[in-house]
Amino acid sequence: MIRNPIYSLYGIMLLLTAGYGEYSGWSLTRVNEVKNVPRSVRDNPGAYRSVYSGYSHYSGGK
Amino acid sequence: MTSGPAGLVPKVKPLICPNCGGTIDLRGFGQTVNAICGSCQTVLDATTPSLAVLQQFPKRARVVPKIPLGSRGAWHGAPYEAIGFQVREITSGGELFQWAEYLLYNPYRGYRYLTEYDGHWNDVKTLRSTPQVISASVIRYNNADHKVFQNSVARTVFVLGEFPWQVRVGDPVTVRDYVRPPVMISSEQTGSEITWSLGEYVSGAAVWQAFNLKDKPPEVKGIFANQPSPYEGRIGRIWKTCAWLLVLLCLTMVMMALWSRNETVFDQKYAFDSARSGEASFVTPIFELKGHPSAVEVEVDTDLHNNWAGFNFALINEETGTAYDFGKEVSYYNGTDSDGSWSEGSSKASLTVPSVPAGRYYLRVEPEMDAKSGSAMFSTEAMHYEIKVKRDPPSLVFFMIAFFLLFIPPIYVTIKTFKFESRRWAESDFAPVSSSSSSGDDD
Repeated sequence: MIRNPIYSLYGIMLLLTAGYGEYSGWSLTRVNEVKNVPRSVRDNPGAYRSVYSGYSHYSGGK
Repeated sequence: MTSGPAGLVPKVKPLICPNCGGTIDLRGFGQTVNAICGSCQTVLDATTPSLAVLQQFPKRARVVPKIPLGSRGAWHGAPYEAIGFQVREITSGGELFQWAEYLLYNPYRGYRYLTEYDGHWNDVKTLRSTPQVISASVIRYNNADHKVFQNSVARTVFVLGEFPWQVRVGDPVTVRDYVRPPVMISSEQTGSEITWSLGEYVSGAAVWQAFNLKDKPPEVKGIFANQPSPYEGRIGRIWKTCAWLLVLLCLTMVMMALWSRNETVFDQKYAFDSARSGEASFVTPIFELKGHPSAVEVEVDTDLHNNWAGFNFALINEETGTAYDFGKEVSYYNGTDSDGSWSEGSSKASLTVPSVPAGRYYLRVEPEMDAKSGSAMFSTEAMHYEIKVKRDPPSLVFFMIAFFLLFIPPIYVTIKTFKFESRRWAESDFAPVSSSSSSGDDD
């Protein structure tokens, strides 16, 4: 590894990044973060409408 | 610069050309056999007092040596003087290739040669021992095998200066080159006489520095037969490093997987009937997410069959009111047709919410199906499903990305190495590899 210092550094940076990402719970999934959701949602779930509309419906089958 | 033990600079012996009357300087002392007049380029016999004319030319284009004859330089730790110059050519594949040869002389060390082709220089000396012929394409010298590169008939097309052998313009000689970069071993056969020489690739800058020449050395074009690859030895080293990094990656991955909390913090079964009117959304009981900010995985396992369902989720922090909105569709279809049985999708799905801080959370769940899908058409009255929430599940995604990224540099070096060698051997009559990519000039 000493004979390839730049590649070794590159590889270790990759490992550290992957390790830190795993530790911090990085994900490729997109979620929408919404602040200050009222506590009343627990009593009236229908009052909250998710801003998320990320999935596309597929009524597939062959 | 000194030129001998006493530090004396040897003087040249001036002679008169019998053809044109021009002055000829002999620098090779008594060893010169042929001398060429610098004015009319007549080849003269330097062993006769009258300088007998051996070869004459009515009118010839003059080639100017890049190392002027008479130039002295420190080469291999000794002073050498350029005393002879010749241009030789071969025809290969219908193309004419010309290169220059400079004869260097030191009265105590003898002769050496410098050859130049398209800016590529070789430091050449005559071998005193004959290389061992291993096969038609390999010779062995100093316990190292050298591969045959080219077989051709070379002709001298221009000479200047003086030579310790009989030299004539037009003389043919069969040349066979063997390479093991940076070394090239050449055999030159005239009749039954074979002369072996060993050339070592040197930079033009080294030649220019040694002989204190003006301007810059000629620009290097293409890749020469024995030009050392800038990637020499790098393939093995970089793949070895890659292997070490992959081991480290695996160890880190295992450690992180063992270290991850992977805790199921919520697990509940539900049913959904799309035919039923009213608000479909509901909230789950509160569950606690512990530890440092990390991922949360929400998994849905349904009993869907030839149907689909959509789920809108909101993971809501009860204390701060921060919500993470996300959705997932689950669909599973299968059947049988003329091709046999088939299936699409899955009745399970999961989604990972990134970097969720610790706290008390609940899920708002809003399932969705086609109204008719849940009724008689598909003979399904309701969908049953299970929601499972995991805190800090082990994930391989970023390690997998790192895994692939680790391969980029070694693959790049490998491709460049093979490309370099491909271009080198594209010039050979004995190419062991494909030379289809030889036209590039990015090196």
